[in-house]
Amino acid sequence: MTGFAEGLATALEPANLAALLGGSLLGVFAGAVPGLSSTVGLALVLPVTFALEPTPALLMMISIYMAAEYGGSITAIAIGVPGSSPALATTFDGYAMTRRGEAGRAFGISLFASMSGGILGTLLLVVALGPLSRAAIAFGPPEYFGLGVFGLAIVANLVGRDPLRGIISALIGLVAFLVGLDVLTGAPRLTLGSTMLMDGLGLVPMLIGFFAIAEALNGLAGHRAEVEGTAGMRGALPALRDLFRLWRPVLRGSAIGGIIGAIPGAGATIASIVAWNEERRVSGAPERFGTGEPAGIAAPEAANNACVGAAMIPLLALGIPGSASAAVLLGGLTVQGVAPGPLLMTEQASLVYALYAGFIVAVVFMLAVGRLGIPLWVRVVSLRPQILMPLVVAVSLIGAFVLRGNLADAWFALFFGMVGFLMLRRGYPLAPAVLGLILGPMVETNYRRALALSSGSHTVFLESPISLVLIGLAVISFAAPALRSRLRLGRGGA
Amino acid sequence: MARGWLRRLAVLAGIGLIACGAAPEEARFPSGPIQIVSWATPGGPSDLLARALAEAAPDHFDGQRVTVMTRQGGAGAAGMQYLRGRAGDPHVLGVFTASGTVNMATGRIPFAPGDFTPILRIQVDPFLVAVRDDSPFHTLENLFETARMRPGAVSMSGFGAASAHFLGFQRLRAAAGAPDIRWIAYAGSGDAVVAALGGHTDAVHTNYNIVREHLRAGTMRVLAVALPLTALRDTPVYRDAGYDLAPVHWRGVVGPPGLSPEVRADLRDRLLATIRAAGFQEYMARASMEYAVMDDSDAFGHWIAEEVETSRALLGRLGLLVNE
Repeated sequence: MTGFAEGLATALEPANLAALLGGSLLGVFAGAVPGLSSTVGLALVLPVTFALEPTPALLMMISIYMAAEYGGSITAIAIGVPGSSPALATTFDGYAMTRRGEAGRAFGISLFASMSGGILGTLLLVVALGPLSRAAIAFGPPEYFGLGVFGLAIVANLVGRDPLRGIISALIGLVAFLVGLDVLTGAPRLTLGSTMLMDGLGLVPMLIGFFAIAEALNGLAGHRAEVEGTAGMRGALPALRDLFRLWRPVLRGSAIGGIIGAIPGAGATIASIVAWNEERRVSGAPERFGTGEPAGIAAPEAANNACVGAAMIPLLALGIPGSASAAVLLGGLTVQGVAPGPLLMTEQASLVYALYAGFIVAVVFMLAVGRLGIPLWVRVVSLRPQILMPLVVAVSLIGAFVLRGNLADAWFALFFGMVGFLMLRRGYPLAPAVLGLILGPMVETNYRRALALSSGSHTVFLESPISLVLIGLAVISFAAPALRSRLRLGRGGA
Repeated sequence: MARGWLRRLAVLAGIGLIACGAAPEEARFPSGPIQIVSWATPGGPSDLLARALAEAAPDHFDGQRVTVMTRQGGAGAAGMQYLRGRAGDPHVLGVFTASGTVNMATGRIPFAPGDFTPILRIQVDPFLVAVRDDSPFHTLENLFETARMRPGAVSMSGFGAASAHFLGFQRLRAAAGAPDIRWIAYAGSGDAVVAALGGHTDAVHTNYNIVREHLRAGTMRVLAVALPLTALRDTPVYRDAGYDLAPVHWRGVVGPPGLSPEVRADLRDRLLATIRAAGFQEYMARASMEYAVMDDSDAFGHWIAEEVETSRALLGRLGLLVNE
């Protein structure tokens, strides 16, 4: 406890506070701008951190990471475009609330959930660094395969009224992920002989294309749903009581984020979608999800912020970056001469405690920036779509370019925009395709790795208890909607 | 008013253009900011090298601003294309690594060593084979012996497929009589280490800095390393273990095509001064990198060409060349 007090004292030193505040501002911005993400935000400040001492450098980076996970929800709620991929699930209910004229309430819920998730994720990091890092390495190819299949089964709950269209959408995502070099053999697949397709089509161009460009085109074609409600209602913040009533979704979301976030390579996007889906499942009123249910914002937003603390578990305890953002963070630490790994806690305890305390201060700054910003976000909502959407498209395309400094990504975004527009017009849901693109690689590469290690025996997936449970849950989750509707039909007929 | 201001600017720009055109580039270098193109993963070893160079370089490039330009995509092709497109301009440099030569060798990317001007090699990062502390293998020979007796029973995780890491291991395996060992490819070196640490694979083929902390903590052991490293004084080197080869990862700097020998020598000297700067030395120590400077640009060029040829021959034997 004295360690933590000293860490807090360190985090509250003026230079460190300044680093935390600067990081929070930049993080919210990087999170909210479609195309930019915590990874891009971190990569942009990497050169700046070279000039700083290790502690402020580290604190600046963690506050960017934390704030960006919240920032993504701003655009998700305001205009239905996820500011970064972990905010995808937030669009389902967040944007629905905005269309109902309750943008202010949605922003408040997201901020409260992000804050709670951020704190709970940090607590998990403090309490369970050792045990969770050991659990994380138990995740081998069969377990990752199970997790991927479990995630893909969520498609069953995203398809809306028409399961066939949902499954076709997921298949579009799975085909899109196949483009690029095969991770296991290095052979190009579906690259049409083009070098630019070798690293794949990418998640960010797909998100920008589907949610910014396709929606804008849809608006031009006069099909965009109008935002209802009066300006006064849009700005109304949720009452505290309203927020505290959401403690269950926040806790569940944080737990899911904390566990999935600690598994290297799984990440905040998967965690937040799983959190949304679980919340829908336990709610007793799954049909309300996707139509502006507060718990549908609270759970995924708590989950993606809980992932930040959790992602530090493999990074600090094993020196293994569990996400793209953590990889940039590791690079920054390396340059500072800080070597995360099994000995970090004994050799650099004061820095680790400063990091723990820094996370808490970062959450406070995130809350302050978010709270002061809400009136501004609400004003964005009241802009006319004819003005707003072209701006969003322009900014998104720049964001897509900045990500890798590659113009091809802007072209991919335009391509996905056309595909997404056609899908929207024909009534195909877009989210299953995104899920396919995210989870396809996890399922495929780990399936093949597991078989390579088991000499081709499929029983390997059933021998691992974790994989067995996850695949079982996937089957139940996939079959549940169909069973439920059959039951209901049966009852209706009787 | 505004128009007058604009006109003046246009005239100034015109004068600038004429001045640039009139004076040969070599006459005054550097005449503007320097860009270092990085096509590697942000935060990864090659990206960090680019950033450390940019940090230390201004003092040795007449105070000019030195920035890292990220150009990712196409297995490095995006960055290489940018660099190749700046023919004759010494203000654009690129960090070139073993991965670049392997990608050229596979035929994945339409580039050849001659597309760039080699300047100098900075680091050599030897490959090594590491296992979890409780592994039954205590020497490289243990591991190969088991693989010979039980073909396919031993698995090795590592970065990438048809990558520099993969080929480094294939060369070692060939020297051991090519026992059947399964290569389990991962998208990152860290993931490959986790696989070995979690007991999912029997060993990992990687570099020192990736496993350093696990070695210090005693959670992993190195069976053998390709070249002697100060930090691994007591670890057998491949040659001592009976395998006469030293596969390494390496990193250096290349320029765009069409640089004159004078310009190249000037760049080489400035970069040599840069990598001798205190700040750069500090980065090398922190990142656990050792200098292996090859400052004869021609020799570095031969090294690159030779690496491409060796890799291509090996890939051909393994049936991994991409048809063009």
